[in-house]
Amino acid sequence: MSIRKLLAGLAVVSCLMASEAIAQKVITLWHPYNAETDMIYYGIKTFNESQKDYRIEARLVPYTQLTAEMIKAVATGTPPDLVTLNDPVVASFASQEQLIDITDRIKNSKVINLSVYFKGPQISGVWEGRRYSIAREVNTLALYYNADLFRAKGLDPDKPPKTWAEVRAAAEKLTDPAGRVFGIGFCAHASEQSTFQFLPWLWQAGGSINRLDSPESIEALQFWTDLVQKGYASKDVINQQQNDVTNSFMAGNYAMAVGGPWELPRIQKDAKFDWRVTTLPVKDGKNIQASSLGGFHFAIPKGAKEIDGAFRAIEFMSTPAIFQDGWRSGLMAPRSDVEIKAPLWPKAYAVFREQMKYAIQRGPHPQWPDLSRPIQIAIQEALTGVKPPAQALKEAAQKIQPILAKQPL
Amino acid sequence: MAPSRSPLLHVFLVAPVVYLLAMVGFPILYNVAMSVQDVTLRNLAQLVRPFVGLDNFRELIGDPIFRKVFVNSLAFVGVNVAGQVSLGLLAALFFAESFAGAHFLRGLLLATWMLPGLVVGALWKWMFASQYGVVNFVLAALHLIREPVHWLSDPAVAMASVMIAHVWYIMPFSMILIAAALTAIPQDLYEAAALDGAGPLARFRYVTLPALRPTLLAVACLVTIYSMRAFDMIFALTQGGPLDSSNVLPLLSYQFSFQQFKFGMGAAVGTFAVVFVLAVAVVYVRTLKQDVRA
Repeated sequence: MSIRKLLAGLAVVSCLMASEAIAQKVITLWHPYNAETDMIYYGIKTFNESQKDYRIEARLVPYTQLTAEMIKAVATGTPPDLVTLNDPVVASFASQEQLIDITDRIKNSKVINLSVYFKGPQISGVWEGRRYSIAREVNTLALYYNADLFRAKGLDPDKPPKTWAEVRAAAEKLTDPAGRVFGIGFCAHASEQSTFQFLPWLWQAGGSINRLDSPESIEALQFWTDLVQKGYASKDVINQQQNDVTNSFMAGNYAMAVGGPWELPRIQKDAKFDWRVTTLPVKDGKNIQASSLGGFHFAIPKGAKEIDGAFRAIEFMSTPAIFQDGWRSGLMAPRSDVEIKAPLWPKAYAVFREQMKYAIQRGPHPQWPDLSRPIQIAIQEALTGVKPPAQALKEAAQKIQPILAKQPL
Repeated sequence: MAPSRSPLLHVFLVAPVVYLLAMVGFPILYNVAMSVQDVTLRNLAQLVRPFVGLDNFRELIGDPIFRKVFVNSLAFVGVNVAGQVSLGLLAALFFAESFAGAHFLRGLLLATWMLPGLVVGALWKWMFASQYGVVNFVLAALHLIREPVHWLSDPAVAMASVMIAHVWYIMPFSMILIAAALTAIPQDLYEAAALDGAGPLARFRYVTLPALRPTLLAVACLVTIYSMRAFDMIFALTQGGPLDSSNVLPLLSYQFSFQQFKFGMGAAVGTFAVVFVLAVAVVYVRTLKQDVRA
């Protein structure tokens, strides 16, 4: 074949490819998942292969930057067609009319059937009766523990602590200053993460965000404060993000640690000991099971160009095949009818599945950050000994009462 | 001036002015405008928003956290200026001595200044860790402390930790500027002073220090500006915590805008910082002018 023929052939082929590229519309998607095993990659790949009309082009935005990037996109009028948002910020964007109302699209959808979704993730996507987002994946908190350390201290790893008193007693036994081991670790970092980790204890005690200064709420913060002040938990918990807490657990410095299922792949790889998970304890005499609900939602920002395509992508990502893939990176399906077949870490899967039944969503509230921040401050004040828990929570309650008066939870 | 030259002259004049207006003037004005408006996500993309006068500033000044962070910022800047000018001077004098590897080591020290702030923050977070950090390990090995110091989680200590890390981070920059000025001092001044019977201390006091005065002032101004905009390192180290004990104005502005959705408040904090830096910049420019005259 002559060079000329080859070039002509190439030109024809590239013209064909170009015309196909023009016909195919691009859906831009922003997400924070940097683990290649995350279901988003499987979802994007199979979505792009499954049809010819649309192609998803993803942009990875770091987890801590996602909200900030979305705010910038709103300011400059350049939002993506599809975004994954952390569930408590959905209301912040929805209440300001920055998300597309997908109520009717969901109603008419042949793929998405809301009635099989867990209640928590259902509520998170709704603002004033209209739906603006739908859960992509959910998670919740449970208690990881180091069975080797349990045995070393004469505790039975098959009988993990089930109540607050048992947690405290186990933490006391497991604490070993010489071996640099703290009995328990949790996240009290000054960010949404500490609210997420504290709320389960608040609810287990019978407290609520509406009544932060109630005796029940104060008991919850008192419990955390005692753990730190007695030295069963490190003073560093106030400067540790959730992944730092897990690091300390994996390094053997924390005998127990509160954490979510997303940590499972990392723990599996790096924890060189017999690790296990159990459901969060209940408060003695109250017996209220509770944990926090976390996770990300799919939402279509206002100003998106490919709304139809974006919704098709949402439908595609809400099918059991994608959810099956999610558990590989420790992400749980928001649908109660999806059972992971032959799951990795089957025991942990059973525990988190059980825990999920008691997971409560945060909000939805358009000013959730303003409710969450006073809670974070109260936690830090109490744990550092700056203020007693009762006073810290009383001041937090004073800060959030005017907000709740305007817009109740 | 010859009229034939003027068209090109205008181009050269207009280009930087336009650049400055677009890249510096507009963001500052936009920020000032936002600080007197009620800005929400809904109207974020628009230019015209409800005017609220000085409400944002009033709310800010009434906020105990802002007052705390403002004082923090002043302390942070003050300690950085004092620490960096004095340590930078010491290091510059030390490396001005002729010993093997002096130039190489001075260059190596500058490498810290070239690191991204996030990396420096992550580095010090490791070193300051209370259980396994090298700082506590060394202090305990030297029997200086019995209990581990909670460098980053004790509200009474966190600010000092952030200051130490930041002085370490930026000090090489001060050192290089001072070192450059040191080489510019004519050697005959030292010889003349030595002939007049001046010892090393007197030579430092009456020759080096006066000759360095404008440079030290300029370094102080630059360090003030660098410290006022410290953000990434503190973000990585403490995120301003615990309890805002290590928080500074730029970080607070970010938290208001991007975590609390309070854009007007964030802009108001920014305006505070701009006014402060502007005042320092004026002092800096005046020192530079004096420098030229001297």
